[in-house]
Amino acid sequence: MKGWWLFVTLLLTAGPGLAEEIYAFETDAQRQIFKELTEELRCPKCQNQNIADSDALVAQDLKRKVHELMQQGYDKQQVIDYMKQRYGDFVYYQPPLSPATVWLWLGPLLFILLAAAVLVWRRRSAGNQLDPELLARADKWLEKDK
Amino acid sequence: MKRIALFLLPLALFLFISLFLLQGLFSDPRERESSLLNRPVPAFSLPDVMDETRIYTPEVFEGEVTLLNVWGTWCVTCAIELPFLTELKEQGVRIVGLYYEQNLDPDFGGKSIGQIRADIRQKLDQLGNPYAFNIFDHSRDTSLDLGVTGAPETFLIDSQGRIRLHHVGDLNPRVWESRFAPLYQELTQ
Repeated sequence: MKGWWLFVTLLLTAGPGLAEEIYAFETDAQRQIFKELTEELRCPKCQNQNIADSDALVAQDLKRKVHELMQQGYDKQQVIDYMKQRYGDFVYYQPPLSPATVWLWLGPLLFILLAAAVLVWRRRSAGNQLDPELLARADKWLEKDK
Repeated sequence: MKRIALFLLPLALFLFISLFLLQGLFSDPRERESSLLNRPVPAFSLPDVMDETRIYTPEVFEGEVTLLNVWGTWCVTCAIELPFLTELKEQGVRIVGLYYEQNLDPDFGGKSIGQIRADIRQKLDQLGNPYAFNIFDHSRDTSLDLGVTGAPETFLIDSQGRIRLHHVGDLNPRVWESRFAPLYQELTQ
């Protein structure tokens, strides 16, 4: 039982122990770009985390590399290209436009068009289906109210 | 007519979504085509993990088909694949290790080189030594250049030193038969 509590305590305190590395920058603009990059680059190991969020070893390596490249004068796009060259398009959250990914943009568009077409079609056919007899009765009631 | 359409349309939609989700069950989200495929191994100059005076460059891959296995003694799955890798070596497959140590990182407590060497010797004595030699990627820069996401990972490199296959995860008999063996046979012929 005692050992179990020790285990739980260790688990609870393990997180803060792995505190984020501190990266130094000369300007605020650079710090901002670093922040953007680490939020937009995806951790290749942990699938749905960016490298800013992840504590995986590879995410730390990528963060360190981003910092290193920025110190060498790489701009944002150059850092992204550097990472894509090694880890593929997967590593960047914004997918490129390609025959396979074009449906990400076309899909919603097609859906909206289809939905609009269905709405128009239904409205039109509903209009045609008005029963002439019902209309006559409605007209009669309207007459009465006058 | 309209009745039938009202019945068939949702059915078709249901089948389409089911099939889409079904294939998701059998796909491996880690499986991605390496962006380095058919490209030469990126430049490096790294020491042997057992002897820092021996320096390796990508030339070590020229002239022979090689498996480059990324591993570390800290990695549990790597220990599991060691016996199978040793079997492959006994069948004549040339296997080179790319060793990296997370414990060198001050973040992880740090570990001396002497300790690392003792750990490696112990591990290989216990489970078999498949490696012709081990390249020590001490700063993990070469792993990053290779697009390595963790350990174990294995590359199949042809005799011109080009990467032909990148496998993420352990190398077991099933993976060897389905992914590696056909290409390996083709390359060694």
